[in-house]
Amino acid sequence: MVATLVRLRLRILGHALRRDTWRLVLLILGLLWGLSLLPGLAGAMLWLAREPAEFATEILVVAGSLVVAGWAVVPLLVPGMDDSLDISRFATAGQPARRLAPGLLVAGALTVPTLVTAGATAAPLLIWLRHGTAASLTAVAGAVLAVVTCLLAARIATGVSARVLASRRAREVGATVGVLLAVLAVPGVVALGSLGLEGALEKVPTVARVLGWTPLGAPFAAPLAAAEGSLGEALARLGVALAGIGAAFALWVHLLGRALRRPVSRGGAARRRADRIVRGLRRLPRRPGLLATLAVARRGARYWSADPRYLSALLGAVVTPALVVVLGSAISDTPGTVALGAGAFVGGTLGWGRHNDVAYDGSAFWLHVAARVPGWADRLGRTLATLVWALPVTLAAGVAGVALSGRWDVAPAALGAAVGLLLGGLGVSAVASATLPYPVPEAGANPFAAQIGGVGASLVAQVATSTATFLVCSPVLALAALTVWREPRLGGATLAVGVVGGVVALALGIVLGGRLYDERAPRLLARLT
Amino acid sequence: MDVPAVALRGLVKRFGRTVAVDHLDLDIPAGSFYGIVGPNGAGKTTTLSMATGLLVPDGGRALVHGVDVWAEPTVAAPLIGVLPDGLRLFDRLTGPELISYAGLLRRIAPDVVAARRDDLIAALDLHVAGSTLVADYSAGMTKKVALACALVHAPRVLVLDEPFEAVDPVSAAGIRAILQRFVDAGGTVVMSSHVMALVERTCTHVAVVGAGRVVAAGSLDEVRGGQDLESRFVGLLGGPAQTPELSWLRPSSG
Repeated sequence: MVATLVRLRLRILGHALRRDTWRLVLLILGLLWGLSLLPGLAGAMLWLAREPAEFATEILVVAGSLVVAGWAVVPLLVPGMDDSLDISRFATAGQPARRLAPGLLVAGALTVPTLVTAGATAAPLLIWLRHGTAASLTAVAGAVLAVVTCLLAARIATGVSARVLASRRAREVGATVGVLLAVLAVPGVVALGSLGLEGALEKVPTVARVLGWTPLGAPFAAPLAAAEGSLGEALARLGVALAGIGAAFALWVHLLGRALRRPVSRGGAARRRADRIVRGLRRLPRRPGLLATLAVARRGARYWSADPRYLSALLGAVVTPALVVVLGSAISDTPGTVALGAGAFVGGTLGWGRHNDVAYDGSAFWLHVAARVPGWADRLGRTLATLVWALPVTLAAGVAGVALSGRWDVAPAALGAAVGLLLGGLGVSAVASATLPYPVPEAGANPFAAQIGGVGASLVAQVATSTATFLVCSPVLALAALTVWREPRLGGATLAVGVVGGVVALALGIVLGGRLYDERAPRLLARLT
Repeated sequence: MDVPAVALRGLVKRFGRTVAVDHLDLDIPAGSFYGIVGPNGAGKTTTLSMATGLLVPDGGRALVHGVDVWAEPTVAAPLIGVLPDGLRLFDRLTGPELISYAGLLRRIAPDVVAARRDDLIAALDLHVAGSTLVADYSAGMTKKVALACALVHAPRVLVLDEPFEAVDPVSAAGIRAILQRFVDAGGTVVMSSHVMALVERTCTHVAVVGAGRVVAAGSLDEVRGGQDLESRFVGLLGGPAQTPELSWLRPSSG
């Protein structure tokens, strides 16, 4: 079964590469990127090899645990995991999940990130080679266990999230996770800020001692025990890692089995009584197109709360900036300044993130085409559906960032940049989503899956829209930077430019995008079917 | 002579090197119940998509009550109700919400939309699924709610692609009755189907399409020419070539 699935995976990859040359270019670039990491990695290991083994182990345990945790978190924030071997495709094969799982794991491991991770986990061998055979063998075993743990962590994280997001209570869960992250992130930044980088480094030994007995860090701690001659402890640590893998594998098989028996694609059996689309409306407004706008906005609101694809986009758009700010302030000498950018980051991600909005409709978009919805009405409706919740979220992130940095003197500039980026991004999206649609997972499909053949188009669209957003927002960004670093008195001007410029950019985007939409709507539909 | 409800003039559509629709001409008289039949891949869906403004033709014109669908799309759209085949719906809405959504997109006054929505739910017997998301509907229910979306703006021409596929006999009879009343009141129905018996029973006119062209068209009796429709269809398009015998497909031979 394992060999069959691996052959299947290679065959699919081969066909995809032949059909879409972009993928080959990306694959080669990815491999080059992976290779470029190796010299740095080897250098770091050679440096650690000259340090005491205890110190090296502490560093290895913490870094290794971070790698494993990264495998669990990154696939959630950067959707695009290859789903060519999604378990639901084997639903008709009549095989139990238990038999399919090992093959799926191995076949799914044939990616550039896995190769890089394997290289990284094997690198400590450079340290342990001089500590004798036992230590070296333990290091090799640990490396293998660590890679398997990484793979399972990624699978479980996406599997659980796909389930949770598809459930009826997804909205509440999403909100809870958001609040939790905010609650966790704030003390994290504060703590790091007060400790400073060097203070944080002093904590490493304590953290490493704990992590060294968890499945995350145990594989990296085992070689030291072997080197010191306590084979029992080395085996015990490897055992911890192995037990972790066993538990994770069992959990994953359970998730796979549920995916086989009950696919996520159904609507979660949600029942609603009232018609929320037409509710509260009575008469024809003076501009009948506004009716279509309202309908699109209300439908959008439903999708933001009930469609896993929108929920995962939402989580990514809020969590990624939060993580970047947390990590940025951990590394930077001036964590406060990084935190000031939180609002702008969240606003920009949320606004820019709608640049492929029409593609999420899929072929259901025919209803808009058949009705000849005026382009401006369609654009405005989609924008409103995002704006109603994105504006408060962006402002909250901006205020939180200012509070963290403590620089209330430049608060207007930070908020102006946040609002400007949100509105400017939405303006760019209003134009782009009528011009450059690229494939996304269909409604009901796994929201974390990449679409085969979509890589080239999505790359072009994403580069174009992010560049456009940056250009459109460059005045307010420049003013904000000037305010923060040079001239705090420009705060009011930044706020004004952010709000007024943002509204103008958004209005232009809706008008221009609307005209493009009127010309191209049937062609858009043809690209979505 | 009256203006035809639908007039297709030299419609062309190519996909890559294949010509799906090849200079197709067809007149559909107002007040007719028009069936379009043809083998798989004959270009039925492609033709109907171009006639309803969903797919840009490579050449030719499509007129609905004299309005060019592609030159004056906003004038033509209110005249046409569409039920496409194989396209999704906004299935995170409930059935009633989807009908309201279609009505509001068509810029119909909200109180009218709400009243028509309730009428359609009653007429198409969608009560049971009233509070369920369309994603959880059966295939037949989905067809019915899509038909309701095509009717909500009271069009003059209904273009239905395979409207009876996956619909149970009881619902099918109900839908036929609704369509028949629509035709009796002066509306025009155009539908494609694979099922000859159904077309013979419901339609007044029929067109046989093969390889992107109209092979025969006219009133049911003209096209049939004294035969039943199925024999005529096979005669026009050529029966299956000699079927290779699947000698192993005999359960008894083990």
